[in-house]
Amino acid sequence: MNEIIIGIDLGTTNSEVAIVEQGKVRVIADGDKKILPSFVGIDDHGGILVGEAARNQYLVYPERTVKSIKRLMGQNIQVDLAGQSYAPQEISAIILKRLKAIAEKHLGQPVGKAVITVPAYFSDAQRQATREAGEIAGLDVVRMINEPTAAALAYGASQIEAKRMLVYDLGGGTFDVSVVNVQSGVVEVLSSHGDNHLGGDDFDQQIIEHLLKHLQKTYNVDARGHSKAMARITRAAENAKLLLSDEPYARIEEEYLLEHEGSAIHLSLELSRLEYEMMIEDYINATLDAVHIALKGAKLTVADIDEVILVGGSTRMPCIRERMFDEFGYEPHGEVDPDLCVAMGAAIQAAMIGGQQVDTVLVDVTPYTYGTSAIGTLNGQSYPFMYVPIIHKNSVLPIRKTEAFMTTHDGQEVVEVTIYQGEDPDALNNISIGEFRIEGLRDVEAGNVITLTLDLDLNGILHVSAQEKDTGLEKSITIKNALSRFESTTLDTARQRITSLFGHLEPGPDEQGAAEPFEEPAAPEIEEARNVMAKAESLFEQVSDADKEDMVDLIGSITACIEAGDIDGLREPVEQLKDIIYYLES
Amino acid sequence: MKTPYEILNVAADAGDAEIKQAYLRKVKGNPPDRDREQFQTIHSAYEAIKDHKSRVSHALFTAPEADFEALLDQAFTVAQPPRIGPEQFNGLLHAGIDDQTLLNALANSGKP
Repeated sequence: MNEIIIGIDLGTTNSEVAIVEQGKVRVIADGDKKILPSFVGIDDHGGILVGEAARNQYLVYPERTVKSIKRLMGQNIQVDLAGQSYAPQEISAIILKRLKAIAEKHLGQPVGKAVITVPAYFSDAQRQATREAGEIAGLDVVRMINEPTAAALAYGASQIEAKRMLVYDLGGGTFDVSVVNVQSGVVEVLSSHGDNHLGGDDFDQQIIEHLLKHLQKTYNVDARGHSKAMARITRAAENAKLLLSDEPYARIEEEYLLEHEGSAIHLSLELSRLEYEMMIEDYINATLDAVHIALKGAKLTVADIDEVILVGGSTRMPCIRERMFDEFGYEPHGEVDPDLCVAMGAAIQAAMIGGQQVDTVLVDVTPYTYGTSAIGTLNGQSYPFMYVPIIHKNSVLPIRKTEAFMTTHDGQEVVEVTIYQGEDPDALNNISIGEFRIEGLRDVEAGNVITLTLDLDLNGILHVSAQEKDTGLEKSITIKNALSRFESTTLDTARQRITSLFGHLEPGPDEQGAAEPFEEPAAPEIEEARNVMAKAESLFEQVSDADKEDMVDLIGSITACIEAGDIDGLREPVEQLKDIIYYLES
Repeated sequence: MKTPYEILNVAADAGDAEIKQAYLRKVKGNPPDRDREQFQTIHSAYEAIKDHKSRVSHALFTAPEADFEALLDQAFTVAQPPRIGPEQFNGLLHAGIDDQTLLNALANSGKP
């Protein structure tokens, strides 16, 4: 049996974990819920809450609860959670740890590897932060794949005829659009575009602003300073938004929202879908512009697209379907649950990496252009920061490109290299994602050749190296957000910190089913017994039926002993099982 | 060094659809996760000949590898003048413009 790699969709609002079992993709449910809200909180006893429980607590204790942490990934900030500050990676790690536990509980064995999805338009720093979150959670992130690509994989894996698809992925915090060609078992991304800060949260914010204005106008009160009132307003706005996907009107009623000059203030108003759609019109227009940029990147037009796929909870809004219908002339697809298909795609990719027989191969592109700056001309003028693109947007991954540059003055000993992400001919208008110096160059005339190599791997992470051509003097870095970078020691500390948080876990009433089976310190005998059983199971395929039967019987008695907590009773069956394994392997 | 056509295993006169199909078949067997170099070779080959424009520029600007041995051999080989025996000479004198057989025979006799 191959090692299990889980597929994780780590979303802004919701997260899911999926695996491929007997050739079928399955989103693993925690109890009866497949969706884990991406909320983290600390309860009254200092225990950690993840998911539904944390979301419920958000109303009462917003200061002890964190939501939408994904929006802060890759930024050098700390969030406050019950008086302690945490990096966004740590909060995400808590969610990942829960997903890992859900998978382990389902599988009955530890899981150490995962494929995690990220928005296609996630920058290098955001990807690095995601990988670090995985490491803190004790997961080796074997691959990060783009969310629309994962969705295309979930849809495309079963396609027989060749198709060009457009994946429109509007989630809680990010928007991506990808043009994908599915043909002969290859899911080939032709282009990607997006906005990594556009999503359902922005729509909520529009409604929140509307409600705050209403309160200001009606009661002349500013609710912004009241964290509990704000939490309720936020929740009311979210609920109204969800309701407006099904109903033309939503009634918002929040009684005793706050007290103002001795009297209670009730929030009560009606919001129509039309009003709401007008509030978010600019955002939707921006997504349509992105659709056209993606089409142009793939050198295709609307007429070349055979199918439109909607992904992400925000695509439940009727206006999105209408706009896509207007644009493409046919109904978009949404058969695979828009909340689950990304996790399913991640699981398919995970199975592929894990060596399972999966008949779809993935080819993805980078949505960004990467380059450096050099002395050159801009608008006909000499300019010291002319942008020199090296890896172009929509290049197929992985890609390695080398460019040669020359020193500009005699005896130049140092070259400063800055790496940018963006398209603007003026490098300073692009995002600087890393810089380094090469020192100790030979004392020669101007024109000393320096080669710069950019290498973008399958995860979309950039590796940079520069070399003095004549001497081979080299400098290489992996681009990380210099500000939010976690050193490996910091990572270790973070891991311990998060693990100890889980140690305090007191299962709450709705947490019973979700206790961390592998977080409890198991007796070494039990640990050993589990290893021996795993080993035995891995041999099942190559043994005779009689041997297998014996092994199954022994595993049965061992499991019974573990469940009963009978450590002494374990010894004999474990020894017998070990003997069989020894005999089979010799 | 193989040509893009050889890498993708397509004929020199293959069209867009055929080349794309061959490329996808190769990618299927060599996914980017498995062998990066191999995948990149396949992908570059595809990029070089994927459409008419790229095929023309490939044909124009990509010089085939020069085989110096063969070129030298060619340069040092002295062309043999055709050997004409008296019989053929006689035949030639009497040859009509439509005497194809004779002309062919004559042409063939000059070859090594």
